[in-house]
Amino acid sequence: MLDDIQTPFEPLKKQLLAAAEAFSTDARPLHDILSGLVSDVERAVKEPLEIFPVCHHSPSSAVHMVKRLQAKQPRVIYMECCEDLRSELEGLRDCKLPIALQAFAPKALAFPSAWAPLNLVCPLTEFSAEFQAIAFCLENPTTELVFVDRSCDHVFQWMPQEDWAIEQSLPTGPSAEDQDSDAGMHGTAIGIEIGSLFPSLSRFTEELIRNARVQHFSEWWGQYVEEAIIGADRAAYRQVMFLIGSLFRRLGTRDIDRKGNELREKFMWTRMKEHLRHSQIDPTDAIYICGAAHAASHVEEFGIESDKLWDIPARTDTEWLYGLLPSSYSAIEHQFGHPHGTVSLAESRWRKSLSHENLKPYSLTAKKNPSPPKERKKAVKGKSATDTNPAKTELEQALTSHPLLTWLNKPPPLIEEDEAELLQNCMKIVDLARRNGYMTSTADTIAIYQTSILIANLRGRRHPTPYDFSDAAVTCIEKDSVPGKRDVTRLCTILIGGDQVGQVGYASMPPLAKNVYDRLGILPINLTARTIQRALLDFRKNPEYSSCSDLLWKLRYLIGDVVRPIMGQRELGHIAQQESWDCAIGKNQGAVLQLGYEGITVEHVLERRLKKAAFGAEARTLDALKAAEDCILYLSSERLTEELGDRSIQLLLQEPDVKDAREIYLRISRLIHYYRSRESGLPSWCQRFVTTGYSHYATLLPDAFANRGIAPVDLAGMLQFIFTLESLALSLGCSRNQLLIAIKQSNPESHDFPKQALLWSAECVLQLRDLKSLRTHFDDLLENELTIGALPEYLSGFLLALSFTPQVNHLTVELMSKAFAKLPDRILMPWLPRLLMMLREHADTALAGLIKEASGCFPQNASQLEAWQPPWSGKVDQADGAGSKPSPPFAHVHGNSEAQELLARYPQATNALAMSLGLDPSWSSKPKSSEPSDNEGRHIV
Amino acid sequence: MAKQKSETKSAESNAPNASEGSVSSEVMLRAPAEVKYADELAYLISIDDAPRPFTWKLSPKMVRIFVLGSTPSDGLERTIAPKFFGDPRTVERAIVTLASDRGLLLIGDPGTGKSWLAELLAAAICGVSTLVVQGTAGTTEDHIKYSWNVAMVIASGQSQDSLIPSPMMTAMQGGLMGRFEELTRCSSDVQDSLISILSEKYVTIPELEEDQGIVFAKPGFNVIATANARDRGVNDLSTALKRRFNFVQIPIVTNKKTEKEIVLFRTRELLARNNFEIDVPPAMLNLLLQTFEDLRIAAANEASDDGRLESSLSTAEQIGVLEDAVLHSQFFGAGKVSGDAIGRSLIGTLVRRIPEDVSILNKFWHAIIDKRAKENEEWQEFQVAGADTLKNIK
Repeated sequence: MLDDIQTPFEPLKKQLLAAAEAFSTDARPLHDILSGLVSDVERAVKEPLEIFPVCHHSPSSAVHMVKRLQAKQPRVIYMECCEDLRSELEGLRDCKLPIALQAFAPKALAFPSAWAPLNLVCPLTEFSAEFQAIAFCLENPTTELVFVDRSCDHVFQWMPQEDWAIEQSLPTGPSAEDQDSDAGMHGTAIGIEIGSLFPSLSRFTEELIRNARVQHFSEWWGQYVEEAIIGADRAAYRQVMFLIGSLFRRLGTRDIDRKGNELREKFMWTRMKEHLRHSQIDPTDAIYICGAAHAASHVEEFGIESDKLWDIPARTDTEWLYGLLPSSYSAIEHQFGHPHGTVSLAESRWRKSLSHENLKPYSLTAKKNPSPPKERKKAVKGKSATDTNPAKTELEQALTSHPLLTWLNKPPPLIEEDEAELLQNCMKIVDLARRNGYMTSTADTIAIYQTSILIANLRGRRHPTPYDFSDAAVTCIEKDSVPGKRDVTRLCTILIGGDQVGQVGYASMPPLAKNVYDRLGILPINLTARTIQRALLDFRKNPEYSSCSDLLWKLRYLIGDVVRPIMGQRELGHIAQQESWDCAIGKNQGAVLQLGYEGITVEHVLERRLKKAAFGAEARTLDALKAAEDCILYLSSERLTEELGDRSIQLLLQEPDVKDAREIYLRISRLIHYYRSRESGLPSWCQRFVTTGYSHYATLLPDAFANRGIAPVDLAGMLQFIFTLESLALSLGCSRNQLLIAIKQSNPESHDFPKQALLWSAECVLQLRDLKSLRTHFDDLLENELTIGALPEYLSGFLLALSFTPQVNHLTVELMSKAFAKLPDRILMPWLPRLLMMLREHADTALAGLIKEASGCFPQNASQLEAWQPPWSGKVDQADGAGSKPSPPFAHVHGNSEAQELLARYPQATNALAMSLGLDPSWSSKPKSSEPSDNEGRHIV
Repeated sequence: MAKQKSETKSAESNAPNASEGSVSSEVMLRAPAEVKYADELAYLISIDDAPRPFTWKLSPKMVRIFVLGSTPSDGLERTIAPKFFGDPRTVERAIVTLASDRGLLLIGDPGTGKSWLAELLAAAICGVSTLVVQGTAGTTEDHIKYSWNVAMVIASGQSQDSLIPSPMMTAMQGGLMGRFEELTRCSSDVQDSLISILSEKYVTIPELEEDQGIVFAKPGFNVIATANARDRGVNDLSTALKRRFNFVQIPIVTNKKTEKEIVLFRTRELLARNNFEIDVPPAMLNLLLQTFEDLRIAAANEASDDGRLESSLSTAEQIGVLEDAVLHSQFFGAGKVSGDAIGRSLIGTLVRRIPEDVSILNKFWHAIIDKRAKENEEWQEFQVAGADTLKNIK
């Protein structure tokens, strides 16, 4: 500090003025800017509260932070980070970095509704100044760590309160090449970086990049700042960082960002002054860690000597939850728009510097009793920045008077390790490329090395940077771009360090995640592994695994592909003997941790999700029924199932449309079948659902037939519900009269042929119409050239009717046969594709009956074809004429004779059934032939 | 606005000849880069104090400045105009490849400026860009190595005098840059004759006596080849040859600002041959660029090749359209580039197949250009002219 304060800045100012006069025609404005920069540096250096300027994920900041903390232990460290995230730091002890501090608010009533849920992350890497300070403070409790920046709530408060604002702050989805990486680990969270230092004015950045002949800002930073100051002394480091912070603030920041920064600076200085006053700590015993740009602040609250305090705005009533989330280098790069490989590169630079300087970084241990500060100092094997390098100290002393000038004039020192590393990398990339399908050899190693040096030379660098190396590797190796093959740039990123993924330790997990890990702990798989783990669950050998299976199915429901069943299913009434699962919980730990914000246990979250699905404002009957079924499958809670079932009844009564009728029928009938197989029988809500559904759909029938907006398929769904569940509904107290009245009131439009066919089918079931009249109608229709075209339309209605009555099977086969026989090609040909599509759609309900019926009608082999007469040409007419009862389909089918013989041999059961139905139990004749007559068949039935 | 210059002699021909006798200073329709930018090269040579590889005339840094233009940070007394617009890293990679042991192969779609970059590099590095072998299906090994003057061979037998060196051999003998255009159009065995040139750096002439039978390359020799990305599969390079080349991909220009710069730069240059100075109104230039962009989007959205124009819609074609429009306006119009001239020229350039291209353009005109003309007055003249031209094509 003393060195800093004594640094004379006047010579530098004079030199800059001279430069301004030399390079500018109007020297005054340029001079103002240049002298303003120096003044900012001077002011920051002279501030009694030591400002430690940092840059996000900068290894040089981290190295200097380590050196600073080793040199002198402060009493308090103030850090630019959301004040309410401080409480989560203890959890870091148990984690593998990178880890993000997370704030989450499920509801956001004070903010635009499109923003919910609010999610904010602050990722930390080991090689950052902030983490080194955090680790130091957690291991040395005598040093207090205070986060002084605005709270997470203020982050959202200070954003434009518009729906689009949140979208703008989020990164765009991972690119195609990122899909296989962990770039999306933060999900849809707003990111904040401690010490973020990035010019927001695009024109400034463009000029910077163009003049420096680099690709992007990160390369510029690495080349011109990072390399230059990583080995400098503390005074030089601080002054250079202050200078760059001031430069970016004055020239490279948009007005809107500058205003935002000023609010934060007011906040931070107010908090620091309040804390200093309250704790009575001398400002010289404190360090303030912030982004370098904040050191050049001109707000009134800046500096300890200013008494001004800001009236900090209150937080909203939003309820915030806090936790830790695993992060990764690629996720950090994606979140903050850094180019690929930037963070890996920073890490490699950090490791190199540590070994070069022989420093030991601070790290967190999971120990219960952290070691006292003195022991900590002893543990540091490395030499401290001030006393262990005499040669360097002499040099520094010579330059101490002008550290900033030295930096501006001198290129960064060459580190020997760089040369060795370049050679190593040349060899490794050739090997890596070969393993990835490139035809590379030692000749390429030589070429890459040579080209790297040439590129560095061309770009005015003393030694190739990793970017030069990458360019050289691409030039020498990449000949073709093959889809699916990793490109050489990507291989270089992998070579330099690759992606690192963090992991939250057990102790730092929320209760839900701990519970999941505990319950799945009995499985013979490694839950923390980053690879997919295959679990084989044999419930006969290990009955205790059934609870794991339950949990896995619940997780599958809640977080999708994190766990995936390879073998096994969960369906109503199904009891599994074995299951096989692919578990990727270690790889997707974040998803499990996120669930922790929704409840205390998985069951709790599941219940909330089911209720949300059923009771949401947009919920429909089908959603509630689905939720009820899911409740049976995953929660086995009768109380909740009944609640959801009641909700479905309530929704059904409110639904004026019938578009889900078929789905509703399928779902409720599945539930009924399931409950019937249970000892407890049909629950009351199911009974009420059936009776309500019967009445509801019967009431809607006349409108459904008349309303052209309701599709025939939906109408068929209604009729399917009514007729298939009719016996149950009638037994529960419904009246058939309601249905009869509704059918009689139904009157579809004369040209709505499919609905007409559906109505006739329904009337046949209710015995309001006989098939003979229908047959006559269609015979007339086929004779008339003007009406023949309507037959396909009628047929589509009959095909739909097959789902609720088999009585029209025969008629449908007959009409279809006649259609093929009599329809002219101009009608038949366009209709065929539609018919096929329709048959495919209703294959489950219609096709089986149709095929069975057709097999009875048509000849079985070619020899019978000659003598074959269609059944409807004579005999069947008579049969139908004799009575309106439909002929049972199996009467024509071969293979029933055995059943008939069996029934005849043991007639008691059949007789009893006949008597209970009020029929005469006498047998007309004992069937002897294998072809029983229609009458016999009918009698037995 | 196009203006006829008062001078009758081409500006290009006025330039002093920087090359060593390979190019005459007489009037040329198109001067090679080393002649055209002779003064710039001379200036850069005079101030270049950086170490130079082999016998290069300029250091790699100066070659970069010559190709990409100078910036204030270079601290030069005179401004060097950019001649190639694209990613500076691509050019840097090309330059360092030429300083290394490997040949340079520039790959890209037609009209991306591969040959132009090759010419600039050769001119800057060795002052000669005319040692070119043009690859075709008919190229033989003789074109790459050497051939014989048959009359002299009959008269006095095979000797150094009767030998006709190929451009590549000339480059080897002089330590210069040899250029090979459209490498992949040659058959594979002909391509492979480059292998010994690139690795051993000599050519054997078995017909001559031992002491004269080998031509060694002098330091500074290298090969700049170009290949069309679309034709790459016609005669694929052998692995052995691939290994001796560094591949540098020249991407298609997608940045509108850069494309604008290229179109103006090249059109001005082409029209300078007719002694014109042109001043294309920005609105007309935007109209041209926007139409091409729309056409590219329409082509990308087409499912089959039948719905696409035969033209590749490259930057080079935009230059062609603009040049044609300027010339038409100058000689037959009001001397001002108008929407009418651009519309007619664009249709004339893009219609190659009748009636397929006409029908595609008709569709495009109705869907896109008509809409733009309704929204913006500047497009109306262009729209009418295009529609009229399309109507008259039969």
